[in-house]
Amino acid sequence: MSEFIKVFKEGIYKDNPVFRQILGICSTLAVTNLMMNSFVMGVGLMFVTAFSSLTVSVLRLYTPKHIRMMVQTLIISAYVIALDIFLKAYWPSMSKALGPYVGLIITNCIIMGRAEAFAQKNKPLISFFDGLIMGLGYTIVLLAIAFVRELLGFGSIFGIQVLGEQWVNWTLMIMPPGAFFMLGIVIWVTHRFFDDNTDKGGAKS
Amino acid sequence: MAKPKRILYPVFFMVLITAVYTLILASLNAASAERVAEQESLRLERAILYANAIDATDDAALHQFFVDNFEQVTTDDLSYYRYATDGQVTAYTFPFTGKGLWGSVNGYIAISSDFKTILGVDFISHSETPGLGGRIDEAWFKEQFRGIPLETSPYIRYRSEANGNVDAITGATLTSNAVKGMLNTFLETLMSTERTVIVNE
Repeated sequence: MSEFIKVFKEGIYKDNPVFRQILGICSTLAVTNLMMNSFVMGVGLMFVTAFSSLTVSVLRLYTPKHIRMMVQTLIISAYVIALDIFLKAYWPSMSKALGPYVGLIITNCIIMGRAEAFAQKNKPLISFFDGLIMGLGYTIVLLAIAFVRELLGFGSIFGIQVLGEQWVNWTLMIMPPGAFFMLGIVIWVTHRFFDDNTDKGGAKS
Repeated sequence: MAKPKRILYPVFFMVLITAVYTLILASLNAASAERVAEQESLRLERAILYANAIDATDDAALHQFFVDNFEQVTTDDLSYYRYATDGQVTAYTFPFTGKGLWGSVNGYIAISSDFKTILGVDFISHSETPGLGGRIDEAWFKEQFRGIPLETSPYIRYRSEANGNVDAITGATLTSNAVKGMLNTFLETLMSTERTVIVNE
């Protein structure tokens, strides 16, 4: 059980994929102008990371070591395509809003990173959990950034208008630079508050 | 001592896992292909109905209404939808396309059957900046095109010009101008040449 708690803490803040490992930045910058987009992207990533970690872990004892990257990429792509097909069939408007970024989940370093760093060495169940939590850590950061960007940029939260008519939208927040500013602030704040001296050695697995 | 790399097993393993996943994805794709195509055509139908200012309630009713009242007409160099109620043609809906700021913009424009007013405009796809040019998708922008008379060219003028009839989008001048340009170009050719072709049919 303590193993699960450790994984949970690492995924959410100690080793958070976005502000600790600085992975998955491309999509973090791209889809965070609306909370709904960020949410779906995050859930999609949780799904893909969890299941690809599970599969990689199940196959880890049978996978020849020198072709493991190829196998991992294949597994990840398969789940991403499945997700893409699902969105196209059942949620076309979201599929359109996320555009190429669903397909680009394949190249999201978080998934590959977890497959390499965790799933390759651990049992299936904990790997699945690790993927899920890493995805959750990513989702939380995305939602936090999107919250500020959507609120200031559109005056709304999840598409519901909360700031009145007199609110002047900060166009900058919706545009790519807004994402850079927000991400920078998030990394700064989290390092300020979650910094403990135990992990000075750089990235851990 | 490192084991020598084996060739046969990795190849076999890779082939097997590829085959398994390809099979899964292919069946997933086959299972949902129909639904995806359905969603896609529903999106076009919804856009065409919106351009004609017809309120679409649920998907099934929308599709039924479309099938009952709209007819696609394709001539040599023209493709459009004819909207007829009780055998009386009330409107024509044309696809239009043009260059936006970042990529092509596609949409539909509905014109009354006497070619005197624009009934409405809807956009199918575009890749404009979200929150700026992307606001061409918003209702307040599209609703402005309803009822614009087709009298003097250029037909669509922003309020910054003399006798303007449409508000441009603040902060998205290039997209606004691109949309205006593509609509005016389209209307120009429609009113000068293609109109006679349609009327004479």
